[in-house]
Amino acid sequence: MTGVGWPLVDLASRLLDRDEREAVVGDLLEANETTWQALLNVFGLVLRRQALLWKQLSPWLAAFGVALPSSYLLTYVSLSVSCTYQRLVYHRFAPCWPTGHEGFLLLLCHIILLIAWSWAGGFVVGAVSRRTLWVSAAFCVFPCVFCLAAFPFEFLPKLCPFLFLLPAILGVRHRLRNPRISLNSAFLLAVTTTALMIFAWSNDALWILNWALIWPVWYLVATARKSGQEGNTEPWRMDHPTYTRMSQR
Amino acid sequence: MTHKRDVRDLPGRAKRERLDPMSNYYYNVFLIMLGEFEYLLITAAAGLGENAYGAAIREEIEATTDRRCSMGALYTTIDRLEAKGLLKTWMGEATPQRGGRAKRMVRVTSKGVHAAKEFYDAVMRVSHGASWAGHRAGNSS
Repeated sequence: MTGVGWPLVDLASRLLDRDEREAVVGDLLEANETTWQALLNVFGLVLRRQALLWKQLSPWLAAFGVALPSSYLLTYVSLSVSCTYQRLVYHRFAPCWPTGHEGFLLLLCHIILLIAWSWAGGFVVGAVSRRTLWVSAAFCVFPCVFCLAAFPFEFLPKLCPFLFLLPAILGVRHRLRNPRISLNSAFLLAVTTTALMIFAWSNDALWILNWALIWPVWYLVATARKSGQEGNTEPWRMDHPTYTRMSQR
Repeated sequence: MTHKRDVRDLPGRAKRERLDPMSNYYYNVFLIMLGEFEYLLITAAAGLGENAYGAAIREEIEATTDRRCSMGALYTTIDRLEAKGLLKTWMGEATPQRGGRAKRMVRVTSKGVHAAKEFYDAVMRVSHGASWAGHRAGNSS
């Protein structure tokens, strides 16, 4: 393998897991493959690995069940929040249905909801399918780009449709670094979000489809409870039922 | 052999439930039918013995079949066979020849040996009487 091509192969092999990268790159060096052959081999393996992941349900659920519909809805929520902000602060009127009558209180409510929905959506995408995150990320950006291309916004900055991305990225990051969320935190988030949605709905400031964004929030509660129950089944814990039964004998 | 017949008579779901790696050994062995490449890989690994690892198996397969063997096919098949319990792999030693990178060592399990033998026997049985089979060479036309 030539010195020029080696960094390329090394870079491509980073798409593989650590142990597999070690074995594959070592095999390629030992076989003295050309750069082109080595790249083909590495990309072939990466493609096969990705294809195998898509044989399961979770990547489809993450991409088409959460990322795409959530980002579509959240793009419009981002625009709606931006329009309301422009109207209230700069007195510029942009045609953004269903907003148009909200005051600062409802604007604050929308901002909190936008952050909560996005964060929970990101967390769920990270939880459901960590290894196909790049596809889910592409599905998240697609509605924003479509929105920018389809509708010209005279008064709004170009970054407005992307407002939800930062909390969503933080949600994914939190899931990757700390897989568990405490039941209390999840429950507080879910109850607060639901209460704010009811408040916005009762003030005619919520699109009916936005109710679909509530399920990732309650999914957090369900999984937090599940992980709490699993914690009790850890065999090394001294309060595990096995030890209790043994001590009773 | 009665076990084998019993399991094959079961409906699909029950048959899958019987494919538990911890359950009866014979149920598992007789229900696993290898693919052609899986058989090649197991045979190459068994032939290499203690020296079976990715590059060596690949070289053996390429030399024997005179066909290219991609890393993708090799490693995904190794994973699949390991999941079926036919192979066992672990990270081995690093050598200067490999740029200081470790090998993924492979060992065929006894279950893998049985599955390969089943495949071989099946191929021999189905090939019996075929014009290209070795023992019928004199009759081929």
